[in-house]
Amino acid sequence: MERLGAQQIPVMAHLVLGYPTLEASIQTAETYIEAGVAILELQIPFSHPTADGPVITSACQEAVERQHVSVEDSLAAIRTIRNKYPEQEIMVMSYVNRVFAYGLKKFFSEMELLRVRHLIIPDLPVDDMLHSSILIPQSSLKLVPVLAANVSDARLEKLLAMDFDFYYLMSDFKITGSVFSLNPRLQGVIDRIKKSSPAKRIGIGFGISTPEQARFVTNVADVAIIGSALIQAQQNGKLEEYLHDLKKALSPATELV
Amino acid sequence: MNTTQTAYKDLILQSEGYFGPYGGCFVPEVLLPGLQEIAAAFDELKLDEAFLAEFHDTLHTFSGRPTAFTPLPRLTEEIGGAQLFLKNEGLNHTGAHKITHCIGQILLAKRLGKKRIIAETGAGQHGYATAAVCARFGLDCTVYMGRKDYERQRPNVYWMELLGTKVVPVEDGSQTLNDAVIAAFKDWVANPESYYLLGSAVGPHPYPAMNTFFQKVVGEEIRNQCVEATGRLPDYCVACVGGGSNAMGMFYDFLDDEEVGLIGVEAGGRGVQPGEHAAKVLHGQLGIFEGYHSYFLQDGDGNIAATHSVSAGLDYCGVSPILAYLADEGRVQFATASDAAALAAVQRLARKEGLIPALESAHGFAHAFELAATLPKDKIVVVNASGRGEKDLFITMRHFQEESLIAYAKHLLK
Repeated sequence: MERLGAQQIPVMAHLVLGYPTLEASIQTAETYIEAGVAILELQIPFSHPTADGPVITSACQEAVERQHVSVEDSLAAIRTIRNKYPEQEIMVMSYVNRVFAYGLKKFFSEMELLRVRHLIIPDLPVDDMLHSSILIPQSSLKLVPVLAANVSDARLEKLLAMDFDFYYLMSDFKITGSVFSLNPRLQGVIDRIKKSSPAKRIGIGFGISTPEQARFVTNVADVAIIGSALIQAQQNGKLEEYLHDLKKALSPATELV
Repeated sequence: MNTTQTAYKDLILQSEGYFGPYGGCFVPEVLLPGLQEIAAAFDELKLDEAFLAEFHDTLHTFSGRPTAFTPLPRLTEEIGGAQLFLKNEGLNHTGAHKITHCIGQILLAKRLGKKRIIAETGAGQHGYATAAVCARFGLDCTVYMGRKDYERQRPNVYWMELLGTKVVPVEDGSQTLNDAVIAAFKDWVANPESYYLLGSAVGPHPYPAMNTFFQKVVGEEIRNQCVEATGRLPDYCVACVGGGSNAMGMFYDFLDDEEVGLIGVEAGGRGVQPGEHAAKVLHGQLGIFEGYHSYFLQDGDGNIAATHSVSAGLDYCGVSPILAYLADEGRVQFATASDAAALAAVQRLARKEGLIPALESAHGFAHAFELAATLPKDKIVVVNASGRGEKDLFITMRHFQEESLIAYAKHLLK
């Protein structure tokens, strides 16, 4: 409520819970929120983040191996953030094995209690409900499809017919934290999602590091997803500065520049 | 559990990726088109006579199949129990069973018009075999190998490089097979037009079923050779289990012969404490990792645990979803053999029978020697020597003749 009227910036800002410590990651989340990020993306660290690049991978390994951050610890941290910022949109990201080990049903109900509406699990195809051992529980929580430019027409149509309302698009064929590029075929995917329903939101991530790139991305998507670059800014002690530049680049006042 | 009623062979090859609750295709969406392309090609080619003829012809002319089926009379006499036989997969070109599924997959990749191959390797046997088939069929090849394996299996690194393959040491994590698999997947995400030639009966669909399909020739040869040599089927088939490709190759053809006991031997390492072994079926928990649902060594909160084995090929956190299913069904029994037992088995087989197995395969022998001692003399135990031991020169030499190794290293550096 305290941010009512504050200007939101169309960014999904990512961090790894427990990096560099659990307490510090909560503070980072607060810094992001105070800067006005539209969506906070909280990654529950996993020992082997198979879809992440070196920056996020080492942050996860630090959180798991040195900080010993459990799923329970991560949920407690999210609770702290939620209590302080009841209106902030939060998405949670992790890998399927951590959620599976915790218990899918229990995890989903925890997410509901924390008023998290979206869960990003890159190694879980969102419609993979083929077997009872991995049945996705009934819940208000929505999974987020993470798609790239090579998604087939049939696959995209199938997903669009389901009730996903946020699509995470990979800027190009790469891992997180790579050099930014936007695959030329991605525009077609964006058009089809928006044509299916303008209410379906789109975030683009993987490799966005400069405010200019973020601005470029928000011309074609609802939010720019930034992860590795934020972690690096924090490591260099330049997080506030980075967020300031980001805000400046993305605020409507600079629209005409 | 009713092994007489279940037609496991059909069930596995017609599975579409699930074996009981296990298997699946748990990968980022970006990899689905590539996996679906491979799965569709496999579904077609597994019934294509021209393809199968080319596969078997290449196994014969390039890899030297069928491999020998060898009685072990002196060990049988010394142990005084069941008759021991060895299936010598180490006689394959590049020294192990791995080349069998590499030949199958490279022919498939060629049909798909692929130009570049990505692979992971643990002991280096799969990478070496992949490098050989890529050179043979004219495809570019990049192999990922954990830094620890890169250092301890240096001879195979050299062979791969000689064959024109780019070998990339992986510095992440525990720097073993697991980390190599992840690095290979990341390469595939960045290069979705490449073909990922995965090297065991693990990973997302269709790899577990596809590699089992290519490897099943091992069990088919054993069936014929055992009947020819003894007039009947084996009582037990014993194979070491890392991911499970040599075990599935040996077991598949016997799955519906309930009288044939099937035993997988996992790496017992230095003990049962976490991080000291690689026994997934016996000490792991259910999980979902690297594309499939199976047993994994984990920390109890969903993180993948470190593993240890003296043999790089068994030093891996997961196990084939097909073996997980067959273990639950009671169709395949599991045991472990320690590092020390495996080393002793190498020495014993060398001294008594003139054969030097890979350290991986030696785990199977260590268990088979114990098993044979408990059985009457009319029983037949066949052990899969999945690879030959030359690649382990510097590891076994260090255990058996450390001073000689040091002297040789000094001589080379002069």
